[in-house]
Amino acid sequence: MTLAIVVGCAAVLVALRYWRRARRSGAHHDPWRVGARSIDLHGAPLVAARELRERVRGRPFRIGTALILLAVAAAIVIPILTRGTPTPTQVGIVGPATPQLRAAIHTAAAGVGTSVHVVVEPSASAARDALERGRLDVALLGDRAVVVATLDPTGASSSTQLATALAGVLGVHAAYRAAGLSPAQIARLAGAKPITILSLQPATKPHNAGSSVIGVILVFLMLTQYNTWILLGVMEEKSSRVVEVLLATVRPIQLLAGKVFGIGLVALGQATLIVSFALVLGAIVGSNLLHGAAPIELAAALLWLVLGYGFYCWAYAAAASMAERQDQIQSVALPLSIPILIGYVFSLTVAGSGNASPFFKVLAYLPPTAPFAMPVLVGLDQVSILGFATSVVISLLCTVGVARLAAVVYRRAILRTGSKVRLRDVLRTAH
Amino acid sequence: MTALDGLTFSVPAGRVVGFLGPNGAGKTTTMRAIFGLTDLDAGSVRWQGAPVDQAARRRFGYMPEERGLYPTMHVAEQVTYLARLHGLDPVAAGAATTTWLERLGIAERAGDKVESLSHGNQQRVQLAAALAHDPELLVLDEPLAGLDPTGIDAISQVLVEQAHRGCCVLLSSHQLDLVEDLCESVTIIDHGRVVVAGDVDVLAESGPRRLLVRVEGDRAGAWARGLPGVRVSESDGGAIRLVLDDDVDSDDVLRAAMGAGRVTAFSFERRRLSEVFREALG
Repeated sequence: MTLAIVVGCAAVLVALRYWRRARRSGAHHDPWRVGARSIDLHGAPLVAARELRERVRGRPFRIGTALILLAVAAAIVIPILTRGTPTPTQVGIVGPATPQLRAAIHTAAAGVGTSVHVVVEPSASAARDALERGRLDVALLGDRAVVVATLDPTGASSSTQLATALAGVLGVHAAYRAAGLSPAQIARLAGAKPITILSLQPATKPHNAGSSVIGVILVFLMLTQYNTWILLGVMEEKSSRVVEVLLATVRPIQLLAGKVFGIGLVALGQATLIVSFALVLGAIVGSNLLHGAAPIELAAALLWLVLGYGFYCWAYAAAASMAERQDQIQSVALPLSIPILIGYVFSLTVAGSGNASPFFKVLAYLPPTAPFAMPVLVGLDQVSILGFATSVVISLLCTVGVARLAAVVYRRAILRTGSKVRLRDVLRTAH
Repeated sequence: MTALDGLTFSVPAGRVVGFLGPNGAGKTTTMRAIFGLTDLDAGSVRWQGAPVDQAARRRFGYMPEERGLYPTMHVAEQVTYLARLHGLDPVAAGAATTTWLERLGIAERAGDKVESLSHGNQQRVQLAAALAHDPELLVLDEPLAGLDPTGIDAISQVLVEQAHRGCCVLLSSHQLDLVEDLCESVTIIDHGRVVVAGDVDVLAESGPRRLLVRVEGDRAGAWARGLPGVRVSESDGGAIRLVLDDDVDSDDVLRAAMGAGRVTAFSFERRRLSEVFREALG
């Protein structure tokens, strides 16, 4: 918490300083100053609409969306299918199946987390035969003995667990009778309820690792996909030289803004579709993955996906503008993918273990890694609303800074052809 | 490196102006500067007396040297999209697209992807995109390069029509014969400076006298080399073009030609644009 406040204050101070400096030089006309009055976004909506249309119409988008929906459906449905309906353990009784005995059997079964189906066997030999044939799992010879086909020495099999529990319960019943208790008294004792347990610390919520892991993977996959769209979109315009025709009509910032907003809208639509699909499908099939804090976790993941896209899209556009050919894209984008991988790997580890280290909590406040780390902290219930909001504000402020820098790089690099543009050269350029 | 050095010229309305110069002279840089694609260290580009701004540029049409179209976008969509970026509403942009694709003979390819078109047809799409918003200034960098004669005729006709309706048309080309037929005036630059500018007719009539002489059996014009005050300018279909100093008597030249063989052509000629170009560049 303290860390969040310190980081938040630092970000606000930096932003204020930046804002003051921008105001001081406000008289100088610079259409690149994002937020300046001189900014004119004519053309940006048209560019955004084209991006949206082209992406949605493209086969990669449709196939990609279908694959992600399939993966989400599989992650939700497969655990339920494999969980299946538990088969009741078959218990045979030789002798009178009194209500007390049946109640004792069900009590023992509940104790080991299984259900039972009780049948009456005519004789001990018939019961043994049924055990050998596998028709019965456990046989009771009255309340004298419990018989199983094979006793599992590890105690792991359900029939051995039930047999052990039955032996204990029936032994106690036999002791009650020997003590001269009436059936009513025995039933009353059998129905004893445990007393209340009080904890000095509040109970921790069960950690649902599944939804956290799914959230982190989804954010990673989708953020990577959207960043790739930005890379390819900018590269396509540069390599086809259409950018020269476009920039003869619209300003670079208008083209860049239109592109990132257009792709952003597609991204938001796709992400919303996937999260909605997950929530609805989870509700329909009764998935454990979407119980408890999972919906909030997914909503947080969706929000951070948007924030992560907002942060990275500008940087990726600037990186793509520096490449000359498509094969250079990976090398210019590599430095940007490193923080994504760091955030992804750490978040995946913490989502699985449920233990967030102080270092991980720091990652949740750094804009490059927060899109992965913060939703995990939300899932672990280890972040306050203020901490969450602080991280959002830091991310937004840094996004403004990244966008401004990216706009400058994009403008200076997008029309340079002939060789790969180096960032150092771009930043040194006077114009 | 200085790309443009005190370069000043104007493009009058209603004319096709040729913008000529050797490779690296600064033609493309100049054209890009008109659209703000190159930052000028000094000087300005002015339109109707005022510095060119973004609003003015939206009324310009541009065809860059390196053609720029989205390869996978459909032809009609692409032209409509670019027309809309120039400020046309969807209906007007659609109508203009239809008109220009028909006018340039590529209407039947409207639904095809640009990458599936031939080079010549892509060039026509590029021109349609530059024309769809009915520009006041048309800047075309090598619009005729790589076109077959039919394509050259079609595009030339469109450019002349545009000029006649009042548009300013500025085009660069290395095909000087075509420029001579197409343009009414030219500006020739070298090393970022204007070296010659003016009406094609005026430039053609200016300068020393020129003779076109054809002597059978001497296509290279060896007979003329060494004549005092006479310089062989260029060969032209088996004939040679001669440039005469003021004090040279053309009768002396005719006699020399007749001495070399049977003279089948002997006429005074205008200066060709290619000669203007060569002479301007030294």
